[in-house]
Amino acid sequence: TVRPKNEVEQKQLCAFGEYMAEILPKYIQQAQVTCFNELELLIHPDGIIPVLTFLRDHTNAQFKSLADLTAVDVPSRQYRFEIVYNLLSLRFNSRIRVKTYTDELTPVDSAVSVHKAANWYEREVWDMYGVFFANHPDLRRILTDYGFEGHPFRKDFPLSGYVEVRYDDEVKRVVAEPVELSQEFRKFDLNSPWEAFPAYRAAPEPLKIEAGAKKDDAK
Amino acid sequence: MRPATPWPAVPAVAGGRGLARSAAMAGALRKTTGLVGLAVAENPHERLRILYTKILGVLQNFPKDAAYRKYTEQIVNQRFNLVQTETDVQKLQDKLNSGHIEEVIVQAENELSLARKMLQWKPWEPLIEEPPSDQWRWPV
Repeated sequence: TVRPKNEVEQKQLCAFGEYMAEILPKYIQQAQVTCFNELELLIHPDGIIPVLTFLRDHTNAQFKSLADLTAVDVPSRQYRFEIVYNLLSLRFNSRIRVKTYTDELTPVDSAVSVHKAANWYEREVWDMYGVFFANHPDLRRILTDYGFEGHPFRKDFPLSGYVEVRYDDEVKRVVAEPVELSQEFRKFDLNSPWEAFPAYRAAPEPLKIEAGAKKDDAK
Repeated sequence: MRPATPWPAVPAVAGGRGLARSAAMAGALRKTTGLVGLAVAENPHERLRILYTKILGVLQNFPKDAAYRKYTEQIVNQRFNLVQTETDVQKLQDKLNSGHIEEVIVQAENELSLARKMLQWKPWEPLIEEPPSDQWRWPV
């Protein structure tokens, strides 16, 4: 079965997106509502703390709960990492997603001053992707091993890693050695040589409301 | 966003508060808010009056056409009028439709600190920097 479209909620979210874009035009680059009724605000990285504080403190937008803080790695872009904040408003029972971008070397403002919950999430993003958070109280590795080199969730980090550990009896401790797989890594290309959907070659153009200010629907 | 369905108060709490209120006189203090860490506010009308006047004072420093100033003035004036016309705390809570009066006070304090910070950030200016053209394209 197909999920029925909830037009009312979509209209409410669109209205709220326009409201946000009107109040904070300095930082919000786009606001979009997905077909699953999820509002996303796409922001310039300088605007993380202003936008998150606004969403937490404003009376019409009391998003007091930071549900998630993650990153997405898209190596082909100039700013390869996309930092994603998911917020929940308990007063109005609604969620919002805030997205920013950065590359490997540019630090990003830490959200810990706005939401205490961001502490370990930002440690995880640092450990797994290598995104540095400025003004974080305690930015260190959280999931990888103590002497681990590399950032595992990046797309160019191989599945089996670069080193493996084993206990060496001669030196009587655990050593790290380059990984040796018994079978080389096989990548299967499962695409069919014929084009599957010729009618959908180009991505569908989303509807726009004001030119460049924000979009209405996303994929 | 306009409050669609604010979470209902925990039933046990409402019952406890209701008992305390019916036991005491209409204008007397409630025993407890029922929320951890939030003490009952004595004289909430006075506190809200002070906070709302302060917020309106801070908002005067914004440019006249800033959307934040327009909308926040609207919200604050609406709540201010309700606070001034309605003297009974229970009825005021129902009219504001925003949880306990103590929560309304906390929210007003938040709005005040936000207004002060917004004055420094100046979010009404045009966009700082456009993103690269392929930045927000999905599918990649």
